[in-house]
Amino acid sequence: MSDEYASTLVTDETTLGERVASTVIGIGLLVFMLSVLAVARVVTEEASVLGIGLYDFLAVGLLTMGLGVGVVGVGSALGAFDTTPDQTPGTVTAGVFGAIAAAAVWLATLQLGVLGPLGGFPVGLLAGAVTFVGLGLLSEDIGSTLPAVVVAVAVSGAVLTNLLTPAWLWDPEWLSAAFSGSMTIPTLTAAAALLTAWAGAKAYGGYGSEGRQAGAYLLVALNALGMLAVLLAVILFIVTKGIGPAFEGFSLYPFDWPFVLNGYSFRPDVVNGVFPAIVGTLYLVVGATVTGVPVAVAAAVFLTEYAEQGPFVGAVEIATNGLWSTPSVVYGLFGYAFLVPRLGGTTSLLSGILVLGFMLMPLCLITSREAIKSVPDEYRDASAALGVSQWETIKSVVVPAAMPGIVTGVILGVGRIAGETAPILLVMSGGLRDDAPNVLGSFEFTSAPPFVANDALLQSAPALPYQLYATITSGVSADNAVEYGWGTAFVLLVVVLSFYAVGIATRMYFRRRLNYE
Amino acid sequence: MLGSTLFGRLPRLERASGLSTKAAAMLAVLSFSLFATFALFLLNSPLAAVPLVAFVGAVAYGWVAHQDVTARVVTLIATTSTIAILGLITVFIFYRAIPAFRVMGTGLFGFTDPVTVFGVSLPAVETFWSTGSNTYSLVPMIWGTLVTTAIAMVIAGPLGIAGALFLAEIAPPMVRDAVKPGVEILAGIPSIVYGYLGFVTLNTFLFENLRMSNLGSLFLVGLVIGLMALPTVVSVADDALTSVPASMRDGSVAMGATEWQTTKSITLPAALSGVSAAVLLGIGRAIGETMAATVIIGHSQQLPQPLADVFASTETLTSLIASQYGNADGTHLSALFAAGVVLFVTVLVLSVGARRVELRMEKKLGGDP
Repeated sequence: MSDEYASTLVTDETTLGERVASTVIGIGLLVFMLSVLAVARVVTEEASVLGIGLYDFLAVGLLTMGLGVGVVGVGSALGAFDTTPDQTPGTVTAGVFGAIAAAAVWLATLQLGVLGPLGGFPVGLLAGAVTFVGLGLLSEDIGSTLPAVVVAVAVSGAVLTNLLTPAWLWDPEWLSAAFSGSMTIPTLTAAAALLTAWAGAKAYGGYGSEGRQAGAYLLVALNALGMLAVLLAVILFIVTKGIGPAFEGFSLYPFDWPFVLNGYSFRPDVVNGVFPAIVGTLYLVVGATVTGVPVAVAAAVFLTEYAEQGPFVGAVEIATNGLWSTPSVVYGLFGYAFLVPRLGGTTSLLSGILVLGFMLMPLCLITSREAIKSVPDEYRDASAALGVSQWETIKSVVVPAAMPGIVTGVILGVGRIAGETAPILLVMSGGLRDDAPNVLGSFEFTSAPPFVANDALLQSAPALPYQLYATITSGVSADNAVEYGWGTAFVLLVVVLSFYAVGIATRMYFRRRLNYE
Repeated sequence: MLGSTLFGRLPRLERASGLSTKAAAMLAVLSFSLFATFALFLLNSPLAAVPLVAFVGAVAYGWVAHQDVTARVVTLIATTSTIAILGLITVFIFYRAIPAFRVMGTGLFGFTDPVTVFGVSLPAVETFWSTGSNTYSLVPMIWGTLVTTAIAMVIAGPLGIAGALFLAEIAPPMVRDAVKPGVEILAGIPSIVYGYLGFVTLNTFLFENLRMSNLGSLFLVGLVIGLMALPTVVSVADDALTSVPASMRDGSVAMGATEWQTTKSITLPAALSGVSAAVLLGIGRAIGETMAATVIIGHSQQLPQPLADVFASTETLTSLIASQYGNADGTHLSALFAAGVVLFVTVLVLSVGARRVELRMEKKLGGDP
């Protein structure tokens, strides 16, 4: 795609209006971030910023923003700033502020206790509609700034006049929750700051289509940042909680890592570990790969190389997509009804392997098929021109060329099933224990059919995700159950995310190599 | 020869009609032994191992002697197995759900008062879910799943699409190359890890700060599931947005439109079916999400009073199955399978719908990858 887009031709120094607007956005980001931290109770109302209480600080910031946006809006309408506003603020802006007006009026009737919970609803809708139509009559610079000013001033005013204090409480009868001032105030300031910053960004862009782009980009970029921040915070939180228990008693020389190398011994003097669960997960992953992947690759070969588009291929595609999206707990139920009674009658490692293999198959089938499809036809033609048969071509040209894609799909699929808990819960279970399952050493030949027996395969085995679930449900006997859980969560996260990291790195490597060829 | 006439009729084997007798015999043994293995396994007979050995033997012989034909037949069998597995799942969970349907009838979807929905009158049940009186109505669980999915998609839908817009349209290539794999890795965090986080930390946080009367609420489950579904929606919607041909965008920019106008009026409408497929996939994920719901929610099989109380402790279809299968038997167990049937059918319909939408998009964009 082309990267050439319009750029501003006139690049003289920033105007006063732009400077005010960018200050508003800057304060808005600060207020928003502090408010979010306050909602998460990382900082509380007891904290003080620049000598005043946090919530008062937020309100003052919001008030400043409101005044700033008011200045750029009115200034633009009076012709003091060089802007290009449209005739109306547009349906999106009017709709957003209309919805806010509706919600505000409805919540106000609830607060005042008049009209009942549903009686205030039509009143709110009416207020929203009036706002929507009223804004449509204003020009864009006034229409998109004035309501933001109203919201900012209203919220900050309520806080500064102590109408809304941290001790304030709204406990509606129809909800099992109550909203205290210490949660409500930062929620309101966060929303108002975002709204006012949006109005400020539109003013910064000089309204019109450029202004709307500035406003939209601010929100979209903030959303992306916020999303990444939250998800990274989740990972960091688990790592900080789990790294301590996971590395308890760790020493490099002589090498010892009790949490990973020990079992769960129920003894207070030894570090309880997750070794059996790691071994169990390893067996599960290897077993599922061995059962699911060859079938998936074979089916992908048939679908791309032998079959022609028709009802059969259509049915297979529907079945594959159906299997891909079937919830894991339904796979669990299926294994419980189909496999468990036929494989020894108890929950077992073998059932777990087969169910996860069934789950892995559609994942790998879809990616392998894409990979084989993307092998250029020239490869096949060149091979056929040399007189090589179709199967030989598939075996020595097509599949090797598609290998990177297939391997990537397998790694990503394995990453997904390694963390699956619901199917294991139903078909394998297996709680905390001290010794690892020994599958390879338990093969025996018997005289009765099926002639081969393996006790370890037909017994339940522990696995990392299930073990984490078990620490929640059954509770672990020791006092440090929560720490043990965090350690397990950390190890599970490391195992699963490394599968993903390796898979994605492989894909990027091969993609880059293909692009440069 | 029976074998060659039989297999001559199989699709795409016509060219192999010059099959030797040995190859035909191998194919006959192969297919018969596979069929026998399957049948004996279904009948729960340990003798299933015998034809399995014969099958492996036939494949091994075929691989050495007639690799072309064997490869084609084996890959065909692998392909058919997808349909077979889906068929088996369907048959087994429906079959196990029948006793519950027989005991409860349409009462399986009954309310505490008799109501008529879409012309079907549902009988009243005394309590929604009671093993003591053998009454099982899935209504509270269906409501729970509906509410959590709705909350999850209110979060994951708009935010996910906005995230995809950022990656596909706004982010400079360097940022995109760093963030896209990161988002994909985040999609891999196992649900039980989110569940543990919700159980240990978020449950108590909300309990203290929202002064809730109970631990675990539909709201929190929806929030966590929405967070989990977010990377999936971003990733799939981003793929849809980047698959819009650059020429369409360039045309719009050449007309003097701003980037945002181009995104809003050209790229997003062109990718709409792909983006909605992403949202549908997200919904499917959210409906089927089990572990986070199971460990966070409070497991009371009641409708919240009133219905709008999203902070009530109730139950979802998935958490019902995961928390009760252990001590269930008879009609109780069958009712859990009925819950599985509801889940399975809903998600299957969504998946077929999403696929339809995607195909429409491919057609519309003229196959430009």
